Amino acid sequence: MRKFLIVVLVLMAFLVFAQAKLTIWCSEKQVDILQRLGEEFKAKYGVTVEVQYVNFSDIKPKFLTAAPEGQGADIIVGAHDWVGELVANGLLEPIPNFQELSQFFSSGLSAFSYGGRLYGLPYALEAIALIYNKDYVSEPPKIVEEMIKLAKQIDQEFAGEVRGLIFPATTFYYVVPFIFGYGGYVFKDTPTGLDVKDIGLANEGAIKAAKLLKRLVDEKVIDPADNYQIMDSMFKEGKAAMIINGPWAIKDYRDAGIDYGVALIPEPEPGVVARPFVGVQGFMVNSKSPNKLLAMEFLTNFIAKKDTMYKLYLADPRLPARKDVLDLVNDNPDVVAFTLSAGNGIPMPNVPQMGFVWGAMDDALNIIVNGKATPEEAMKNAVERIKAQIQ
Amino acid sequence: MSLCFIGFLNVFFFWIAFFLFSNAYYVLGAFFLGLVLLIDFFIFNPKGYPYRYVAPALVLLTILVIYPIYFTVKTAFTNYGTGHYMSKEEAIERLLYDPVYTYQIEDEAVEYKVFLAYDGLIPIYDDFLLLFKINGEIFVAEKPVPVKRKGREVLLSEAQLLVIESTDYQLVPRSEDLSEIRMIISGEKTYRAFYSPREEFLRLNAPVFKSRIAQFYLQKADFVHPNGNKYALRIDRTGEWSFLRIERLYRLDLTQTMENDRPKTRLVVVNNRTNRPLIEREGSFYDVNEKGEEVYLIGYIDFVGWKNFARVLRDPRIAGPFLKIFAWTFLWALLSVVLSLAVGLPFALVLNDPKLKGRNIYRTLLIIPWAIPVFISALVWRNGLLNESYGVINKFLLPALGLPAIKWMNDPFWARVGVLLVNIWLTYPYMMTISLGALQGIPYELYEAAMIDGAGKMKRFWNITFPLLMTVIAPLLVSSFAFSFNNFTIIYLITGGGPPIPGSTTPTGYTDILISYVYKLAFQAGTGQDFGLAAAISILIFFLVGGISYVNFRFSGVFEEVGR
Repeated sequence: MRKFLIVVLVLMAFLVFAQAKLTIWCSEKQVDILQRLGEEFKAKYGVTVEVQYVNFSDIKPKFLTAAPEGQGADIIVGAHDWVGELVANGLLEPIPNFQELSQFFSSGLSAFSYGGRLYGLPYALEAIALIYNKDYVSEPPKIVEEMIKLAKQIDQEFAGEVRGLIFPATTFYYVVPFIFGYGGYVFKDTPTGLDVKDIGLANEGAIKAAKLLKRLVDEKVIDPADNYQIMDSMFKEGKAAMIINGPWAIKDYRDAGIDYGVALIPEPEPGVVARPFVGVQGFMVNSKSPNKLLAMEFLTNFIAKKDTMYKLYLADPRLPARKDVLDLVNDNPDVVAFTLSAGNGIPMPNVPQMGFVWGAMDDALNIIVNGKATPEEAMKNAVERIKAQIQ
Repeated sequence: MSLCFIGFLNVFFFWIAFFLFSNAYYVLGAFFLGLVLLIDFFIFNPKGYPYRYVAPALVLLTILVIYPIYFTVKTAFTNYGTGHYMSKEEAIERLLYDPVYTYQIEDEAVEYKVFLAYDGLIPIYDDFLLLFKINGEIFVAEKPVPVKRKGREVLLSEAQLLVIESTDYQLVPRSEDLSEIRMIISGEKTYRAFYSPREEFLRLNAPVFKSRIAQFYLQKADFVHPNGNKYALRIDRTGEWSFLRIERLYRLDLTQTMENDRPKTRLVVVNNRTNRPLIEREGSFYDVNEKGEEVYLIGYIDFVGWKNFARVLRDPRIAGPFLKIFAWTFLWALLSVVLSLAVGLPFALVLNDPKLKGRNIYRTLLIIPWAIPVFISALVWRNGLLNESYGVINKFLLPALGLPAIKWMNDPFWARVGVLLVNIWLTYPYMMTISLGALQGIPYELYEAAMIDGAGKMKRFWNITFPLLMTVIAPLLVSSFAFSFNNFTIIYLITGGGPPIPGSTTPTGYTDILISYVYKLAFQAGTGQDFGLAAAISILIFFLVGGISYVNFRFSGVFEEVGR
């Protein structure tokens, strides 16, 4: 009885004393659910969890600026390809290896590993896939030839009012499935990590993919001036039959009342599988935070748990990073389709050198689709540029 | 009253300086101290009397101009940027004290139990004892005491593991089994069992233990065994917080090296496991792993001398396209000024005509482009007007005129025309306004005299209006030129510097001006940020713009005007 009294009083004492506080920066998708989870955490630990909404693309720069001054969030939610740069600046705390991690997909864990240590707890994987509007497309195309035919047919039928196929042809991320499918690669994957000296973006496969892209533009199947915003808004308005986009966009399309389907990105040639980049979302801990212990506790004993991961999935339906959670959600056709697409995918490199690749490749694609140089020249030049910058 | 104010000011500045010193911002703190002493000198010394009126401006000048310039110059000589974010001192502190840089000697966790003092029934969280059972022996440890601090931050605290018999603590009941012990008594004080990971009932207190005790007192604490072994709280393989035997990975050591035949003592960080000193190179520490490979550990901000400036001038990646970009930057600034004046001045002349009805309405309408925030109008231009497939110009305007669509973003020439168009749109109201002001100042008698002499409209404009106008607005045009020269916002928002120049080894585009090119180099392209390089280039740009402006001022004879 007395013991019971002590426990009760301890819990009451919570209400009396000021407490440590955890701050989390996350993007729009996770704010609501993390606030709810934060309440649960508070009920148990008496620690307030303050969730702050930061634009996804601003989280990393903001963290880079604030964290060295001791002003950063205790935990940030972001993409695995930030890890290299943040670790180089000494801003991330490694996550110790504990049993629960065996339940996570190794692809997610390796994406967040850098220099042999884990720096983030993955919660969702994502890869782009073909998203099509069922009003125009009854059966999603399996190979690129079919896609071209279908796109042209739709273009003709609706005289330009509805576009058959839209994707940002000058954005490397969206062209990657074809480049990797044909055997291109960014950095050679070796047993000891990525070899940044070995770049495969101008090999035979990559050039084949570049030529395919050029052909799509030449045959007026895609418009080189298209960008993400155009693709996104056209699909939302029901004016695009097929686009290539990721799971983050699905909720908007559903809200817009589009009758959509998700399928694998068509094979560039029969038997050649399209391989998109796999991005992993996860939780990272600020190494300069005074609340590291609690932040770790929050991740290892709360976020990493199966039911929390499931709640996160429900709020942000992306491919879960935990195996036993994926088993729970196999009934969602979108998740299944994106899972299949990610299954063919290749994790985005998390080394800081990746930073040089984006700009160089976007420029190369831009030069190719505008016919300013041949695909061979443009790709070779881009690789030269990346190499010159990596030195 | 005024003394009171000065007193407050002094206190405030001293407090700022003190605050900055305590947070290790020594230079800025010194700035503030110097300022407050200077102000006091102005006020309390009769000789400094006239200066007291410039004191407020001086304060702002120091904080907003001089200090940033000092900081930029300082940064230009360092490698500050990605991978070099902290001071060397901090990097070494981390290697020595951060819990990350420890390794476990034994995987087996040590049994422990936490006891709390109570005030009546209320637990006192900062008064606790820990019992440990190590190899069958029971030890007691008090609250860890900070042994290494940095400012107010505790880097490391320590507690000794004491044999019960040597202390005045009494276990109740006396037992060799931790789970049976309910209390520890010390004189008047009683500590009661509060938390143990092994007892189901006490496990309920785990969240409280973690958030109230571990978080504040055990995070960076070493518990030292009489034999010298260290134990610390870590997450073990089960995901539990347990006490494990650890050892620090790095220690500080002195080595003797020979430099110029003279022995020189240096501080080095040594790996405790391999007894090898860390490799220090270009402001980073590297360790060597079992396979003999170098592993990057941590980087720090290091003085690199003129290296950043040398890079700008010698590195072919930067210097190569520099001339190309410089030429376009110059052209861009010049055309922006000339063309927007060519648009703004006629409007001003029209508005200046007293015969025009509704001048105020027209003037208001014409100033609108200036009133709308640049970010909004730039994005409207980019996505609404210049977009190649859906923009108003390509979709409606040009087809209506029977012209082919223009590649505003992907054709080098038209992209340049596009950014100029937008800049003219944004700048002509300014030109119009300054011209209007200057036109007011031209005496009407001059025109009357000219009309009597039979000069026509054009002649009057070129011989009277334009020269007199120029004397007034030339300096403004020079500053407008300098502003356009560095008008990063427009370029960044409209084309982002694109379209890319084929065959370049750096992220160069046809519409890139110097500042946007620097931005791409320093912040976008690659492994993150390079503040040192960016600072060096901005200093160079400062001299460039300064030089051009100086020549312009001389050329436009403004100084002579004023001097007369």
